Amino acid sequence: MARETKTAAPSPGEGAAPPAQGPGAQDPGAAGQRREQRRRDRRSRRYRRDVKWSPYAYVAPFFLFFAAFGLFPLLYTGWAALHRVSLTDPNSMEFVGLHNFTRLWSDEFFWNALQNTVTIGLISTVPQLLMALGLAHLLNYKLRGSMFFRVVALTPYATSVAAATLVFVLLYGRDYGMINWALGTVGIDNIDWHNGTWTSQFAVSSIVIWRWTGYNTLIYLAAMQAIPNDLYESAALDGASRWQQFLHVTLPALRPTILFTCVVSTIGAMQLFGEPLLFGGSATGGPEHEYQTLGLYLYEQGWVNLHLGRASAIAWAMFLLLVLVALVNWLIARRLTKSEGGA
Amino acid sequence: MRFRTRTSRQAVVLAAVAALGAGLLAGCAEDKSDEPGGSSGGGEGGDGGKGKTTLTVGVFGTFGLKEAGLYDAYMKANPDVVIKQTSIERNENYYPQLLTHLGSGSGLADIQAVEVNNIAEVTATQADKLVDLGKAPGVDKDNFLDWKWQQGTAQNGSTIALGTDVGPQGICYRKDLFEKAGLPTDRDEVGKLWAGDWKKYLDVGKQYKAKAPKDSAFVDGAGGVMAAVTGSYEERFYDKDGKVVYKESAAVKEAWDVASAFATEGLTAKLQQFKPSWDQAFSNGRFATISCPAWMLGYIKEKGGDKAEGKWDVAQAPKPSNWGGSFLVVPKAGKNTEEAAKLAAWLTAPEQQAVLFEERGSFPSSTAAYDLPAVKDAKNPYFEGAPIGEIFAKAAEGAPVQILGPKDLIIAQNLADVGMLQVDQKGKSPDEGWKAAVKSIDNALDE
Amino acid sequence: MTAPVVTRGTRQDPTRDPDAPDNRQGGKGRRHGRSRAGRTMHGGRITYAVLILISVVSLFPLVWTAIAASRTNTRLAETPPPFWFGGNLFKNMEIAWTDANMGMALLNTTIVAGSIAAGTVVFSTLAGFAFAKLRFRLKNVLLLLVIGTMMVPPQLSVVPLYMLIAKLEWTDQLQAVILPTFVSAFGVFFMRQYLLQALPTELIEAARVDGASSLRVIWHVVFPAARPAMAVLGMLTFVQAWNDFFWPIIALTQAGNPTVQVALTGLGQGHIPDQSVIMAGALLGTLPLLLAFVLFGKQIVGGIMQGAVKG
Repeated sequence: MARETKTAAPSPGEGAAPPAQGPGAQDPGAAGQRREQRRRDRRSRRYRRDVKWSPYAYVAPFFLFFAAFGLFPLLYTGWAALHRVSLTDPNSMEFVGLHNFTRLWSDEFFWNALQNTVTIGLISTVPQLLMALGLAHLLNYKLRGSMFFRVVALTPYATSVAAATLVFVLLYGRDYGMINWALGTVGIDNIDWHNGTWTSQFAVSSIVIWRWTGYNTLIYLAAMQAIPNDLYESAALDGASRWQQFLHVTLPALRPTILFTCVVSTIGAMQLFGEPLLFGGSATGGPEHEYQTLGLYLYEQGWVNLHLGRASAIAWAMFLLLVLVALVNWLIARRLTKSEGGA
Repeated sequence: MRFRTRTSRQAVVLAAVAALGAGLLAGCAEDKSDEPGGSSGGGEGGDGGKGKTTLTVGVFGTFGLKEAGLYDAYMKANPDVVIKQTSIERNENYYPQLLTHLGSGSGLADIQAVEVNNIAEVTATQADKLVDLGKAPGVDKDNFLDWKWQQGTAQNGSTIALGTDVGPQGICYRKDLFEKAGLPTDRDEVGKLWAGDWKKYLDVGKQYKAKAPKDSAFVDGAGGVMAAVTGSYEERFYDKDGKVVYKESAAVKEAWDVASAFATEGLTAKLQQFKPSWDQAFSNGRFATISCPAWMLGYIKEKGGDKAEGKWDVAQAPKPSNWGGSFLVVPKAGKNTEEAAKLAAWLTAPEQQAVLFEERGSFPSSTAAYDLPAVKDAKNPYFEGAPIGEIFAKAAEGAPVQILGPKDLIIAQNLADVGMLQVDQKGKSPDEGWKAAVKSIDNALDE
Repeated sequence: MTAPVVTRGTRQDPTRDPDAPDNRQGGKGRRHGRSRAGRTMHGGRITYAVLILISVVSLFPLVWTAIAASRTNTRLAETPPPFWFGGNLFKNMEIAWTDANMGMALLNTTIVAGSIAAGTVVFSTLAGFAFAKLRFRLKNVLLLLVIGTMMVPPQLSVVPLYMLIAKLEWTDQLQAVILPTFVSAFGVFFMRQYLLQALPTELIEAARVDGASSLRVIWHVVFPAARPAMAVLGMLTFVQAWNDFFWPIIALTQAGNPTVQVALTGLGQGHIPDQSVIMAGALLGTLPLLLAFVLFGKQIVGGIMQGAVKG
């Protein structure tokens, strides 16, 4: 922090120097003073206008783009959700009120997709974050080639969903896949990774885990390195073991980071789409819809079955669910900070 | 301070690499496509430029027009035309995109392909957005199979889609595996084994299984059997009045029963068609037979490769049957509809259909092509010189004129990839599989 | 998608954090002489064993992509699967290159990802700065709106977006994929969290007292302070834009103006797709990013960690 302040400091100094010292008080004469006064007034008016309006100018580009490419589609989709619309003719809409939403309520495929989304979300997020935490802990040791390990752990992040899933489909092949072959060498029969409920969900999750663990590791590692050393020292003085130090110093200090990664991963898990789509090669998500997530169900309804109105309703349901999750998370976070403050 | 200089140096290096890379790539890209982004600039740009018209053709999967050299031939005969193709591998991704593009009147190729399972929906809902090709120069109704022509004709009488190929079926079989299982290997004898009844095909499967080599199944999967059986009926998923009848239709009933018997008797290799493991199984002799529409021959050849050369042969199917086939349409929103219509007419003319059959195995929908030597006398060396022209022409003649409906694809797909797949790969009872499929289809069809 | 995390400091005041300079070190060895119970501990053999195992798992799918790309389809269907490279790599890559319009795709993707990264970084820094340090009406409401935007599923907007793009006659043109993701809510939030702590308010006030206009403040105070986070955000956005596929597949076509992911999904063109060719295409599309990771891995890792730690 200190260094940053230093580097940043000179620049504004230089920039602001002339106006600050420029037309100083030396200027004699009343006319000059009046001129000076006017100029100052003008400048201060301009300054005030600047201070008042510039923030809007800064946020404006974001909101302009957001309005055109984010808000408009969002509202349009909300409107479409109240209609019967077919992809064969998206311009003709028949108003049906809340029918699409009430229909979802009794749509077992929707609930199945929601359940899958939660399950896959859990089995991809929880191990991923735990592994990232453990890995970060290891990388926090003094190591030879620690940079090598960090870069390697991050490499999967550079792979696209499409490329990664295409490889994993082959690796998870039932008859000729590498994974079943490896399991075969230790006497395990071929596993049908594409059709079993748990196996397929695990396989899809593993793609997510593979791509994101290294990334989260670095986040945790960074947070760990920011923990002030005195905390460990005093803990050591109190006779805390390594494990106790991890539990009582590292974990509490990482709490905000962990919370945040949980939120971000939850949002990612809710929107999971590319992996299951490419893993099965279709929007069905397996013969029994074993890994059909909400995103995939939305896609199937809208782009395979051509019911755009219904797809819009699913999209809004997903949106509302995420808001709900965020709300719960916010409540938990507030509880946590409170209890932390109390402790 | 140190950090700052470091970042800026990094930035410079990164920028240099990016620029260099982009430059190199740009060079390569320009080598390849004559006018980069030319098609995006629209037809007008193309017209104005060197007096050349750029026509784009949008297809799915292995359409074969390009590979058979048809574009090159056309460009040679019409030096002022440049043809480009854009392809999406799976029709299930291609078709929704086509609809989105048609709905907004943009992003369309000058000519678009449509699969037979979607053609009813296209003629019913998109006819006003497509050019009437029936009156285009060079199109002759009498060249086409009558039913193929009707399928591409909308209610208002305009023929908006021209047929390319049809999918008459045979049964492809591995001679080496048949021999090991003590079955005849000559294609006529093999055909006689099951002639006339799909249940006989099932019986041969049982015989095969009794003496089959280890690790080999009789068919690839139950889904293919179901498609083949369904294809031998006139009424499949819809009746003549456009009512959805798949729950009662004789076609679906027999197809479901036969196919699920294959699954429950353990005669399948439990493979799902068009998935990587299915691809891989071709070269390994994992299964002895497969329902073989004409277009499947090219597939077997590519997938089987050298390893399976000379091992496959093709025999007549139990009943004449049709699976698949496609059409070409010309969207009105295109910039060169006139030129596009000309090209579409040319591509679907008998001579070109014959070339497509010769090169790619897509069987002509043009009856006029059947008498051309390229079709009539066609033999396929990969399949031991099987007289494929004769075999498939016979199947095409006997194949029923199917009644199509707008949701054919969804019904077929859910029956195969939800219902039958559960029976075949998850060991569900046929009853459970059927219920699951029906539930899925009901959900999809529900307005 | 998961995205970087802005860590809030636990208890200490960031500006007075005695440990802060040390964070800058990133991956470099620490020079601290004092014993540090948590960190100076050397890794044992088990640590190395675990790390090596993880590295193998991380790299294996990528290496195997290359192995599969260098084989024939037939070979991939044999057991045991191939473990070493075959001789077909360049042949397969060539097929993928010509059939999938890969050259154009790589160029386009560079343009698209570069533009999106630049736009996101600049606009996010501006907005992030305003939210972090300036006072204006509706600030909290607007900020909440930004955070809310992050939760909108991307699939949601495809249809109306497509109709919009069609109205503007942008189909198959690069701006159709650049502009909709030109700004990012995540970026705004990310920069806000960073600047909240990295940019002392006194500094802005001092510049203000000196009479600097707000543009000057941005240029001379905010941008320098935000630079590390801008670099991280730029990198993250670039990678994400490079790998985006849902919207580009709909907005662009393979023969016209594809990005890498569009080209990859259309790789079956004219072929009965061969697994080995598909793998070669996947490799081609990933290679540039992998190369960047090999060359600048250290900086990227340092950057992510730097962007992550604020406090």
